[in-house]
Amino acid sequence: MSKLNNLIDEFVEAALSPSEAIEKSKQITGKEIVGCFPVYTPEEIIYAAGFLPVGMWGGKTEIRYADKYLQSFCCSIMRSNIEYGIKGVYKSLKATIIPAFCDTLKCIIENWKVAIPDIPVIPVVYPQNRTDTFGYAYLVAEFTRFKSEMEKLSGKTISESELAAAFDIYENYRSLMRSFVEIVKDYPVTINARKRHLIIKSGYFMDKKHYSELMKELIDALKAMPKEKHSGPRVVGTGLIFEPIELTDIFVENQISLVEDDFAQESRQFRAVARTEGTAMDKMAYRVVDLRGCTFLYEEQKSKGDMLVEMVKRNKADAVFVSMMKFCDPEEFDYPIIKKKLDDAGIPILYIETEMHMDSYEQIRTRIQSFSEMLM
Amino acid sequence: MYLGIDIGSSSSKAAIIDRNMAIVATHVINIGTGTRGPSQVIEEVMQKANITQEEILYTVVTGYGRVTFQQANAQITEISCHAKGVSYLMKGIRTIIDIGGQDAKVIRIEADGRVKNFVMNEKCAAGTGRFLEVMARVLGCDISELSDLADSATNDIPISSVCTVFAESEVISRLASGASVEDVARGAHLSIAKRIVGMCNRVGFEADITMTGGVALNKNVVKVLSEELNMEIKAAPETQAVGAIGAAVFAYERHNKQD
Repeated sequence: MSKLNNLIDEFVEAALSPSEAIEKSKQITGKEIVGCFPVYTPEEIIYAAGFLPVGMWGGKTEIRYADKYLQSFCCSIMRSNIEYGIKGVYKSLKATIIPAFCDTLKCIIENWKVAIPDIPVIPVVYPQNRTDTFGYAYLVAEFTRFKSEMEKLSGKTISESELAAAFDIYENYRSLMRSFVEIVKDYPVTINARKRHLIIKSGYFMDKKHYSELMKELIDALKAMPKEKHSGPRVVGTGLIFEPIELTDIFVENQISLVEDDFAQESRQFRAVARTEGTAMDKMAYRVVDLRGCTFLYEEQKSKGDMLVEMVKRNKADAVFVSMMKFCDPEEFDYPIIKKKLDDAGIPILYIETEMHMDSYEQIRTRIQSFSEMLM
Repeated sequence: MYLGIDIGSSSSKAAIIDRNMAIVATHVINIGTGTRGPSQVIEEVMQKANITQEEILYTVVTGYGRVTFQQANAQITEISCHAKGVSYLMKGIRTIIDIGGQDAKVIRIEADGRVKNFVMNEKCAAGTGRFLEVMARVLGCDISELSDLADSATNDIPISSVCTVFAESEVISRLASGASVEDVARGAHLSIAKRIVGMCNRVGFEADITMTGGVALNKNVVKVLSEELNMEIKAAPETQAVGAIGAAVFAYERHNKQD
């Protein structure tokens, strides 16, 4: 049990102290750091180039400079990232990768060059039409261009075998994460909603190979334990991100367990299983082609609502929790569609609007506690 | 005896019920969390009921200040307590509109008083009692006078800003343009009503509807809201103390479930 707790503490500490965790990973691996904006970036290519990709998902900081570049309708993750950049928090980054998944991300790519000129920015553009063959062909071409950018940055050529090895490390990580989110359902006391989130999040600040080794140990340690009983509400979570962290604390206070998630920062990163045929580049492209139910990847027939209904059914969950990042246009525009599906299926919805820089949680606490009281 | 306490942002309410679930006493003090209001309202409701602390078998606290109040056996949200209080006091209610000092909620309830669904305002003060306090200050009257003023209005003056701070500027501008205090008071009430109707539409609403919380004491708000909803709003007895009464009923149920 102490080994399990030590492992959990290590993950939690890394997630709560990203700068220290990244510095530690840097020392262990001797690699330079490349920052990756949400939602998806071709991390395998960054890894194959010899860099350590780290996630840049915002944080709580006083906004003093970012508003020079961002309008009031931009989300607080973007605001935090620009603020951190200007304040020098990211000074150790070799480069920043920004994918153009929304209007703000698209425009930030240009503003970054002015706001933080010392850190090069490399854009990556994912296709709208993924399921036709030209979508896949475009992705391979875009990833190939991105590979050449990484080669320029590192000063070395990335071989096919290096990319394949990096892909295998990432696919092993993704496979372990799928196992983790499955098994953790049986241990809602040892790994509550807060710890579950932080354990997954810590992977953004560690070398994926090292993280996967620890994750394997954690899964094995959990499997050795008897399953735990839990009497609180069981919910499925969706949205961009399950933060600020105080939100997860309120879940724990109310004994709400997260039985499955569709958060962009969490399961959407690893739920698509890679195809087995083709080169590493093909497999990377197909993972994007095959991912369903993601707000940021266009689908003619939106499957997200049905997917959430199915998640609720297979987990015998009580409700769906929507963590809505304020001004995240793609998620906000998807909501009425998924709401209708959930309403039609008679599934209660807890909708909470969040920002990175929230200070008062009393109304959110009342809403979450009331929702919990309503379900029980 | 069973004690329910509702500690709001601008008032403290308490209710005591006996072992037959009959209300023995209720009390309201117009100061809320972070003040002497909670301790004072408990002291005074016990004086009204003529009982001592030792006679209280179980206490439930609710409201904005519930988390920091340590002397209760349990804390339950005001949403659940208003639903419980209304179903105890009234028959056939399916929708509750509760507007307090800084919160506004629309609660749908089942026949047995359980919460079916609810919506609550986000963190801003639009559509709450705080909005009316600010309006009363700008109009130079006491908040209790707003209802009578609005009843005397002759024109509908829209207050388009939902934000309390912007609405304050808008009202000053209206007054400067020659609008009457009465018309502006009605405009403020209409502004609240339209916001609440939006919340009602979000959660869905059905008859019978009642209104609780301090703002329900403003008869003109209730009237304007009825007009906007095109549905009669049934007056709740003990309007301000409904949450405390619900908390006291929960206290009774929890204590007797323990036994």
